[in-house]
Amino acid sequence: MTSVARPAPASGRPPAYLQVAQLTKRFGSATVLHDLNLTVEKGEFVSLLGPSGCGKTTLLRLIAGLMRPETGRIVIADRELTRVPAHKRQVGVVFQNYALFPHLTVAENVAFGLTNQRRSRDEIKRRVGEALQLVRMAPFADRSVSALSGGQQQRIAVARAIVVEPAILLLDEPFSALDRKLRETMQIELRHILRDLGITSIFVTHDQDEALVMSDRIAVMNEGQIEHLGTPADIYTSPKSLFVLEFVGLSTRLGGTVVSSHGGEVEVETAFGRMRAPAQFRPGSPVVVAVRPEAISIGESEGDGRNVVRARLTDVVYLGAKTQLHLRGERSGDLIQAEIARLPPGGLPSGSELALTWRVEDTMVFPAPASAAS
Amino acid sequence: MATAARILSAIILALVLIFLIMPIAIVIPISFSPSTIFSFPPTGFSLRWYENIRNADGILRALWLSTQIAGLSTAISLLLGTLCAIAIVRGFIPGGRLVATFMTSPLMIPGLVLGIAMLQAAREIGLRDGYAALLLAHVVVTMPFIMRTVLASLALFDFAMVDAARMLGCSYPAALWRVLVPNILPGFVSGALFAFIVSFDNYPVSIFLVDVRTKTLPIQLLNQLEMSPDPTLAAVATIMVVLTILALLVCDRLVGLKRMAAV
Amino acid sequence: MSGVLSGAPAARPARSRLRFEGDMRGLMALPALLFMGIVFALPLGLLLAKSVQGADGLTLNGYARVLGDAYYRGVIWDSLTLAFRVTLISLLVGYPAAYALARTGGVMQVLLFSLVFLPLTVSIIVKTFGLTIMFRREGILNWLLINTGLTDGPIRFVFTEMSLVIGMVNVFLPFMILPLYSVIRMLDGRYLDAAATLGAGPFTTFRRVVLPLTMPGIVAGSSIVFAISVAAYVTPGLLIGERYMTMSMVMAKAFLNFRDYQLGSAMACVMLVIALSIVFASSFLTRSLEQRGGR
Repeated sequence: MTSVARPAPASGRPPAYLQVAQLTKRFGSATVLHDLNLTVEKGEFVSLLGPSGCGKTTLLRLIAGLMRPETGRIVIADRELTRVPAHKRQVGVVFQNYALFPHLTVAENVAFGLTNQRRSRDEIKRRVGEALQLVRMAPFADRSVSALSGGQQQRIAVARAIVVEPAILLLDEPFSALDRKLRETMQIELRHILRDLGITSIFVTHDQDEALVMSDRIAVMNEGQIEHLGTPADIYTSPKSLFVLEFVGLSTRLGGTVVSSHGGEVEVETAFGRMRAPAQFRPGSPVVVAVRPEAISIGESEGDGRNVVRARLTDVVYLGAKTQLHLRGERSGDLIQAEIARLPPGGLPSGSELALTWRVEDTMVFPAPASAAS
Repeated sequence: MATAARILSAIILALVLIFLIMPIAIVIPISFSPSTIFSFPPTGFSLRWYENIRNADGILRALWLSTQIAGLSTAISLLLGTLCAIAIVRGFIPGGRLVATFMTSPLMIPGLVLGIAMLQAAREIGLRDGYAALLLAHVVVTMPFIMRTVLASLALFDFAMVDAARMLGCSYPAALWRVLVPNILPGFVSGALFAFIVSFDNYPVSIFLVDVRTKTLPIQLLNQLEMSPDPTLAAVATIMVVLTILALLVCDRLVGLKRMAAV
Repeated sequence: MSGVLSGAPAARPARSRLRFEGDMRGLMALPALLFMGIVFALPLGLLLAKSVQGADGLTLNGYARVLGDAYYRGVIWDSLTLAFRVTLISLLVGYPAAYALARTGGVMQVLLFSLVFLPLTVSIIVKTFGLTIMFRREGILNWLLINTGLTDGPIRFVFTEMSLVIGMVNVFLPFMILPLYSVIRMLDGRYLDAAATLGAGPFTTFRRVVLPLTMPGIVAGSSIVFAISVAAYVTPGLLIGERYMTMSMVMAKAFLNFRDYQLGSAMACVMLVIALSIVFASSFLTRSLEQRGGR
């Protein structure tokens, strides 16, 4: 390569703590990561969220040094790591199944990294004790790790990774082996520990709730690229792509075609009538109009500044936090599923005619995916 | 009739077990018999044949040679085979299945054919050192047994542990040594024990590679059996049986016989 | 397509992870592959080459001598029939024994299993030595036969074909029992109950249910025993010697006594072909059994 593009720091600001620049990784002929860029600030907790096969675990392994990228660079705390082998990177990893060493006790597992650093016996003992205290596992120091429950094993895996004071902590779906209730407790507990220690963390998950709960920022990944990097609220309220919209949270979506565009607002012709939205598209573009469930009201007066869908209710599916409405368009007979936060008092009888309305400002428009254009 | 079949098969099992054990068990009373002929039932008790082993210079030398060859060939197979097995299991090389088949294929080749092939190859390249030829051949003989057990152990091993050790400051070789080796130790022990026994007992490959000065134990024993059969052989055989049983007991403690016998 | 999209998160097809990581760690396999290539594969190739090498160029002389000569054809035939007899007897004796072994439980099974396993680990020289002692005129077999009144005088076993077959069955029987044991143990008792409730008698149940289900074990055990019997050298050599010539004996004599390498190599190649045919036939049979069984 003739010129390696440096991850340019924004003018005036110091360079980010972790910089991943133009990273590309291939397996044979398949490109798993394509020219990927990511920056993380010190002390931040960033989630890599995406479906399986999106490259999030590959990115994690590249940062860890367990794989080599074809091109690109990785810098942590001003230290160029691209060519540094895994064991010299000072990166901590909590593995999916924890990868505890069954031939060692709990304390020996936690001490493993410290003995590699040739610390004194006293220091190892003290720091292992502190780490076990931190994850509330001190009484288990001399147990065998195979005798521990899933949650306890996870605590040990965390203690083992943070006791060496890594420059960055990587977590590879650490909750996937736990049952749901335990998972929620552990999420909050882990978040507290990491925040108290101020450890910069990158967290791989395919579970959007987990990412929303734990993260300062979320990187939604798809097909080897980051589609949207932002705060949880940002990701949810203004997703940058249709994929992000679909992957995080629920939504009601209508395919259509832009008929007019002026003043930062477009009008879209759909099977359920014309919708307006704040966006800029050329007339004639195939698009998808979308709205989040909590923006939708039922049967409220339509008026200026609101989009309306009139349809006959065919089915109501109660899903706890959300309710799914199956509707059939009056004009076209097309089917639509709408998700709303709560039913109006008195419920909705099947077969009733509804008007769903939402504010134009809450309406999102995305270019239609090539295959699903109407 | 079902019960009759069950009883019949139980009787057959009992007879089969007696039949299988008999030739092994028979050498024990013979070894303690005072007479030079192998008559049954033995008359009296004597340790003269055990004392005789010390004078049987050929047997002791062969015993020492066989121990060396079996030990060294097992160690070499263990080292080369484990590295290769890791590369196969982790997909570091393409065509892993084919490589595994190749590495275990000496099992399918008749021992004599292997021995003849190696004899000719040794002549062709001018390898005259019997010890070296034996050692090389025995690595080939032991390799399949090591490969089979190590591959089976590695299939159950979580390689994330190696990654975990690397992230905690171990280089790749150090991670293998500190995490992989202790965790698949049972597989190593049973594979190594089997390989050692197979090498120690090998006749058909060795017969073509030994020379007058380097004779392995099976060759020496068979020679003696053909030349001057006397109960000294029974004494040696008894010691070998006892050692084998001891080794099996140790192995059973470590891994369990059934896992070892998994053919 | 109506232009209406569903409300659930889109599921993308997961990209299959390639196993081949292909970095420097592939070199770990190199020492073993080089070693086996040079010390194992190369000599076998050389053996094949030598078997067709004459004084001047290629020749099939060795094969002509082995396959064209009635004596050597007889030796090959005798080796095969001997292996067949040993295999058949091992199967007939080993099947019920393996069945009974698989049906016992607990400590008893461990103990009996060890008794089958132990002979496998004891030196073949020791076992054959024990067999020659058993077969002696004043050995334990005759002692048993006379004391139980089955015979009046001692029977001659030494150097007879009968002692050869009995001896080989003794040495190779565990190789039959172990694979049979492992398939019979997997037999689900419910199959047998199901067959019984469908009105099948014990014999029908065995023939229609048990036998087909244990066929993989029969194939595996028989092919192993046949392969090692046909190549056996130590046991026939000690029990009967040159009174019953086998391919192994011819090969060994050609190399160790007559120095007739062409003959020996050709015979070795014939044996190699036989051994490999057994391997391929058994794996083919196993695979077709698996396909038929849908397992």
